[in-house]
Amino acid sequence: MSEWRVPLTEIPMPEQDVQAVLDCLRSGWLTMGPRTQAFEAALSDHVGSPHAIAVSSGTAALHLACQAAGLGPGDEVIVPAFTFVASASAARYVGAQPVLCDIRGPHDFNIDAQDAAARITPRTKAIVAVHFLGYSAEVLALRGLCDEHGLVLIEDCAEAIEAQVDGTGRQVGTVGDLGAFSFFSKKQLCVGEGGMVTTAQEHLATKVRQLRSHAMTSGTWDRHRGHDPAYDIVDIGFNFRIDEPRAALGLSRLPRLHEDVRRRRAIVRSYRAQLAGTPGIELAWSDIDVERGSHFAFPVLLSNRDARDAFRAYLKQAGVQTTWYPALHSFTDYRHLRPEGGLPRAEQAADRHCALPLSCTMNEDAVAIVVETVRAAAAQLV
Amino acid sequence: MAMSTGTAPELPLFDLRLEPQDFDAVAQTLRSGWLTMGPRTQAFEEVFADHLGVAHAVAVSSCTAALHLAYLAAGVGPGDEVIVPAFTFAATANAVIYCGATPVFAEIVSREHPMLDVADVEHRITPRTKAVCVVHYAGYAAEVDRIKDLCDRHGLALIEDVAHAPSASLQGRKLGAWGLASAFSFFSNKVLSVGEGGLLATDDDEVAAFARSRRSHAMTSGTWDRHSGRTDTYDVVGLGYNYRLDEPRSALLLSRMQRLEEEIERRRDLTVRYRQLLCQVPGIIVPFEDAEVPGSSCYVIPIMLEQDGRQAQVSASLRERGIQTSIFYPSIHRFSAYRERFPGISLPITELASRTELTLPFYPHMTNDDQDRVAEALGQVIES
Repeated sequence: MSEWRVPLTEIPMPEQDVQAVLDCLRSGWLTMGPRTQAFEAALSDHVGSPHAIAVSSGTAALHLACQAAGLGPGDEVIVPAFTFVASASAARYVGAQPVLCDIRGPHDFNIDAQDAAARITPRTKAIVAVHFLGYSAEVLALRGLCDEHGLVLIEDCAEAIEAQVDGTGRQVGTVGDLGAFSFFSKKQLCVGEGGMVTTAQEHLATKVRQLRSHAMTSGTWDRHRGHDPAYDIVDIGFNFRIDEPRAALGLSRLPRLHEDVRRRRAIVRSYRAQLAGTPGIELAWSDIDVERGSHFAFPVLLSNRDARDAFRAYLKQAGVQTTWYPALHSFTDYRHLRPEGGLPRAEQAADRHCALPLSCTMNEDAVAIVVETVRAAAAQLV
Repeated sequence: MAMSTGTAPELPLFDLRLEPQDFDAVAQTLRSGWLTMGPRTQAFEEVFADHLGVAHAVAVSSCTAALHLAYLAAGVGPGDEVIVPAFTFAATANAVIYCGATPVFAEIVSREHPMLDVADVEHRITPRTKAVCVVHYAGYAAEVDRIKDLCDRHGLALIEDVAHAPSASLQGRKLGAWGLASAFSFFSNKVLSVGEGGLLATDDDEVAAFARSRRSHAMTSGTWDRHSGRTDTYDVVGLGYNYRLDEPRSALLLSRMQRLEEEIERRRDLTVRYRQLLCQVPGIIVPFEDAEVPGSSCYVIPIMLEQDGRQAQVSASLRERGIQTSIFYPSIHRFSAYRERFPGISLPITELASRTELTLPFYPHMTNDDQDRVAEALGQVIES
């Protein structure tokens, strides 16, 4: 099936965004330059982080965060088991060992600070706090834990741009030593492939900027604008650059992000109001979490894996696209990281959840179709 | 690195001009609302593989990414050595280090022929050597036929760095179609440019499957597969990366690909004329032979100053005359990051080439007047 009645996500692309990209293409300058600088300045302002460094993907952002933080072979990095695989791959890229920890429970899929604390060893160097599906993790508690043990705190904000960490309006990506964001197609702020690192620490920002472009002491734009053609390479860096067309697209879309997130939240509220009390369906997270979240995805919980699979099959048949996220230690390449006794809460949440369609463009009719289908599917299961 | 705010030169190193059909292709893709690697990327890969005459083309985020995947696919890992030239962009060697292996730098033939020296490569083979990476510098063919023989004899994987040389050929066979895997670049200043982008080409089914898997986190299905209802979930079967290209860039490449041959023909014509002018400038070496131009993609115009020690001054004087130059390339082993890790390397021909090379402005719409102006200015600056 390629024509869904209600697809999982849709990307609105107003004409002004298209024109922003075309203006950039017409300029003939595609390498990271003035548009990237402007995008970074706007992001820094929007997120409330002194430094924002645009990169090629959320994965690249996590990789650079790990590298800039000095993580390497022999180090352990605590990562929640319920997240996209890049959260853990990043530690492996720099030669460190991911240590999987559990989440809070089926009603809060985010990293459990107590379980993280229990997994700290003398080799632990960092914790990756993932703000999963757009809901903020208890990152202030984790900050305290990291400070107490001298650990680096990396926030994985790939799914959570504009989510708030508390009631003060402070955003994710400003609490950790480094934050990693994604601008992948399905994300709240999307450009195709793209990402960003945030940090308040000048030396980390400098390191990330260096490593993003082969640790060259000048870039193509600098040399075009009169910088000496000679350059040094001061570290083993990467090509994790974004380019100007994507920066132009991001810059054009950023002013609408707040409104887009507000609409996503309104849809989630509507879903929750209509689905609360539906037999066989449970909601995750609290109303306060919903207000603070930026809503990458909207999960509901079924009673077990079989019920979830049957539920999804029913929705698929009815043209409603859904998805679910496996726990990392269920993957072939991560099985060996399963700790003794497993990670029961992550496993339960992975088995039981199903993410329903969610986009800022969804109208009440689409929501009504999903709600009606969900109720019918749930009724079949009871 | 803080980005500069100076001024653009009158005659820049490169100058990209896109066509209305390119804008339309990108606009249509954006309006479709599907940006993740999907049908446009597949279509571009098919066209590129067909053009190159290989079985598989795997579009990725950059040439650096393509090199990384190529080395990994060749089985390069900790303890291994990969022989590479030092007269190339750092990515050729960096990608070896990403794999946990050691780059071993080999010498180039001469300043007239700044290509990997086959005899020197052979001399540097050890029991730990796993692969050789040949670079087709400036768009011209390296002695890839002889290096391929050498690799075959010693059981080494041949990787081609074809960042400069799409649609170039040797003995009727396209560059990038000789090795186990080859890495192309679509960086802004390249012959086929898109901003950031790259591609791994191979005839080997396993290498292609490996590259496809690792470019997207070794996931057994992609977003497009799930959207099109082909699969429901996925496994992760190895350590992969996000090396994906996205649909707007694939659409731009697909559109530009149609003019590639024509643009390269134009580059060749301009190069022939440029070379004639430059050969009359005293005090410089113009690398390569006229006979090599028809097989080249004519990416850039490198020259070497006969006299050592004048590169910075000549470059600065040209800049004062509105002419941008660049250095293709500083020797990799002389960079701080490499001196720290691999001290004591000496490659006299490479180092002299790096100290005397200047790359001149060049682009398909360059006028005869512009070429005359560069050659004249170069002559004046060198004489002064």
